[in-house]
Amino acid sequence: MTCARICRRFADAIVVVTVLAGAAAAQKVPIQLLQQPSRDSWPTYHGDYTGRHHSPLTQITPANVSQLALAWAFQTNTAQAIKATPLIVNGVIYVSAPDNVWAIDARSGRQLWRYTYPQNAGFKIGHRGVAVLDDLVYVTTPDAHLVALDARTGAVRWNVEIADSKRGYWSTNAPLIIRNHLIAGVSGDFDNLPGILRSFDPVTGASQWTFYSTQSGGAGSDGATGGQMWMTGTYDPELNLLYVGSGNPTPVLNGPVRKGDNKWTGSILALNPDTGALAWGFQAVPHDTHDWDAAEVPVLVDAMFRGEPRKLLLQAGRNGYFFVLDRATGKNLLTVPFATVNWAKGIDADGRPIPNPDKEPARDGRLVSPDEAGGTNYRSPSFDPATGLLIVSAHDAYALYFFKPEHGAVGWAGADYSVYGRGVLRAIDYQTGAVRWSHDLQGGAGAAGVLTTASGVTFTGDSAQSALALRSSDGTTLWHSGIGRVNNSPITYELDGRQYVLFGGGSALYAFALP
Amino acid sequence: MQSSDIVKHARAVLVAFVLFGATHLAAQRGAGPGPAAPAAGAAQGPRRGSPASQRPPDTRTPQTYPREQIDAGRTLFGAQCGFCHGRDAAGGAGGPDLTRSMLVAEDVRGDRIGPVVRSGRTDQGMPAFSLADGDLAAIVAFVHDQKAQADTANGDRRTVDPADLETGDAAAGRRYFETACTRCHSATGDLAGVATRLQPLALLQRMLYPRATPPGRGGAPAPAPQTVTVTLRSGQVVEGRLAYRDEFTIALTDADGWYRSWPTSQATFTVNDPLRAHIDQLAKYTDGDMHDVRAYLQTLR
Repeated sequence: MTCARICRRFADAIVVVTVLAGAAAAQKVPIQLLQQPSRDSWPTYHGDYTGRHHSPLTQITPANVSQLALAWAFQTNTAQAIKATPLIVNGVIYVSAPDNVWAIDARSGRQLWRYTYPQNAGFKIGHRGVAVLDDLVYVTTPDAHLVALDARTGAVRWNVEIADSKRGYWSTNAPLIIRNHLIAGVSGDFDNLPGILRSFDPVTGASQWTFYSTQSGGAGSDGATGGQMWMTGTYDPELNLLYVGSGNPTPVLNGPVRKGDNKWTGSILALNPDTGALAWGFQAVPHDTHDWDAAEVPVLVDAMFRGEPRKLLLQAGRNGYFFVLDRATGKNLLTVPFATVNWAKGIDADGRPIPNPDKEPARDGRLVSPDEAGGTNYRSPSFDPATGLLIVSAHDAYALYFFKPEHGAVGWAGADYSVYGRGVLRAIDYQTGAVRWSHDLQGGAGAAGVLTTASGVTFTGDSAQSALALRSSDGTTLWHSGIGRVNNSPITYELDGRQYVLFGGGSALYAFALP
Repeated sequence: MQSSDIVKHARAVLVAFVLFGATHLAAQRGAGPGPAAPAAGAAQGPRRGSPASQRPPDTRTPQTYPREQIDAGRTLFGAQCGFCHGRDAAGGAGGPDLTRSMLVAEDVRGDRIGPVVRSGRTDQGMPAFSLADGDLAAIVAFVHDQKAQADTANGDRRTVDPADLETGDAAAGRRYFETACTRCHSATGDLAGVATRLQPLALLQRMLYPRATPPGRGGAPAPAPQTVTVTLRSGQVVEGRLAYRDEFTIALTDADGWYRSWPTSQATFTVNDPLRAHIDQLAKYTDGDMHDVRAYLQTLR
C-alpha cells in the first residue's frame, strides 16, 4: 500500500473518530449526572442516591394538576406488566421487563430499539429496572446474569454471570452505579442459598467484590441461609457507605432448624462500596419466619432529630415497622409500626422488634399480621422534604401461617394463606412515626410506588385502576386517570420546558403533561 | 422474597380458597381435595371424626407424554409458573399446589389448563400468558407428570391436613361464637351443616374472612352480599348488590340483574358491608379463640 493511500485512510479515520467522539461526548452519560441529576433526567432507579424518589420539578402544581393530559402512550405489546422504574437520560427512556429492555423517545413515546434476552429458565416474576453509565445500559436477567447493552443500539457489549441460576438464583435487580462500581444483587428463596451482592467494573464487567449476607450451610447465622439483596441500595458519598436491605432467611417458614437471629438476614446493611466490607448492620427482622425482608428502600435524609443534626436513614419495612437509624453508626433512633402488626412482643433495647414465638408458623396455623406480601414491599416510597413526610404504600393484612416438620427444611418449607388485606397510602412523620394522613387505595396491596415533587404533588396509583395525583400535605385527590393498575413507581422529567409524569399501566407506559 | 411482585397473589389465594370447589385450580394448594372430590377410591365425602382423605383427586383420563416434552415443560414451567406454583408445581409463593388441583385432574391434554393459562385469572392475581402451542403443551405435559409423581409419593408437600387443625376446644368455641358471631350468624340457620360443606382448612379460612361464591357454584353457603343504596342528584334512590366500588366509581347490580354505575362525585351512597365485622374480628382473635371457633363450627354437621 502506498503512503498516499495509507495516509488518506489514516486521515479519514481521524475524521471519523473525531466526529464519533464529538457526538458521543455529547450523549454519553457521565458519572456526574448520577451524582447530581439534571431536570431532564431520572438517571438511576431511585432518581438519585438518597432513595427519596422526589423531584425538584414544579411546573405541575396542586393548582394545575387537574388539567394533566396524556402526552403519549407506549405499548410494549407483551403480556408482561411494567413493574420497572424507567430511567431517562439524553431524552431517551430505558425501561425493562423480564428478558426485555426498551429504549423510547421521551418526547414522543416512539420505540428506538428493543433488546430481548435469549430464552432461559430463570423466574420471570418481575423486573425492577436498568442502570446507565457512559454509553452502556445495564440489565440483570432471570438467569442471574448482568448484561451491558450499547445505549445507542441495544447491542450486547458483554454478559457476565452474577450467580449460578442452576443453583436457584435469579435476578430482577436494578443495578446501582457508584463511581467505578456496578453493584447488582440476586434473589433465590426456593433453595437454601447464601445472599449475594456483587460489584463489577462498569466498563469491562470484571468482578470486583462479593458480599455474602449469609454463608453456605448457614455458618455464622444459626443455620440460616438467604438474606438476598434483591433491591437497589442507596449511597452517601460523604460517608462513602452503600445502604442495602437484605431478604428473609431460608428455609423461609421453618424457624426451628435455624433458632437465633439469623444474621444478616432481614437487615439494613452499610457497606463500603470499594471493598464490599460491612461497616454496620441493623437487623430489622430478627429470626424472620414469615418471608419479611428488610430489602425495602433505605431512604437517606439529613435533618435535625430530637435536637441534633443527624444523617438519618428511614425505612418502612415489610414487617410493618418504620425505622429511623443514624446512618453513620447504624444506631436505631425510632421503631414504630405503620401497618397492622401482631407478631412482635415488643421492641428490644436496640430498637429491634422481638418476635413472638407463638406467631411462628405452626402445625395448626397461626393468624399473623402482616401477611407474606408485607406491610409494604418493593414499591418505592417517597420522602417529601417540604412536609417531612415519608409517603408509603402500606398494607394492613392477615394471613394463616403453617409449618410442620414434614414440610422439610429446604426453600419455602411451610404454607401460608392470606386471609385479608387492604392497601392504604400512609404519610409518616419521620420525627415521630405518627401517620399524618392516610389515603385508601380501594383494594388489596397497592402495586404502585410513590413520587413527590417540590410543588407539593404526590403521584401514585391505587389498587383499582387509576393513576393518582394527591396533595402531599393532606392526601387529598387532585387528579386521576383510569389507565389500569399502576404496577411501577412513577417518575418525572422536564424536556423542552415541559414536565412529564410517567406511569406504567398494565404493559404500557403513559406520559402525562400539562396541555 | 420478592413475592409482592404478585401483590395480587395474596388476594388470589384468599379468593381461591373461598371459592373452594369452584375454582379448582387455585383452591387446592395444601387444602386437600375439595368437596367435589370426584373419583371412586378417593374421598367418600367427609366422615365424622375423620375428615376426608388427603388424597389428591385422581386424574380422570390417564395420559402419557414423551420424556422430551416433559423436560421441555419443566424448563418453561420453572421460568413462567414456578415462582407462584413452585418449580415442582406443588405450590410456591402464594400459588396453589397444582398436583392437587381438580382442574388438573380433569384436564385432558390441556383442554382445561390451556384456557386458564391463556386467559389468566386476573381477579385472583394470575396473569394471562401468551405461549406458543408447543410450549403450552410441554407445560401441560410437565404438570401431568408432576401430578403422577405426587400421587404416588409421600414427599414434603406444602400441605395442611385436617388432623393438623384439630387443636381447638369446641365448647369454648361455642361460647365465643355465641358472644361474637350470633348477631349475623346462627348455628341452626345459615351455618347449619356448614362442616359437611367445607373442609377444615377452608372452613377456617372462610370463618376468618368469607368471600362471595360465584353464582351457580355449590358447596358453600353464600355470605350475605354487600349492598349499596345510591342517591342521585335528582333525589332518585337506587338500591342493589354492590357490583364495584373505587374512589371514583360506584356500581350496583339491580333487582333485574342490570349493572348501573355512577361517578362518585355525582351521587351519594351508603354501602352495607356485613363482612366488616369479620375484618374487625381479625384483630381480636387469639390463635386459641380462632381454633376453638373452628372446632365448634366443625361440629355443625
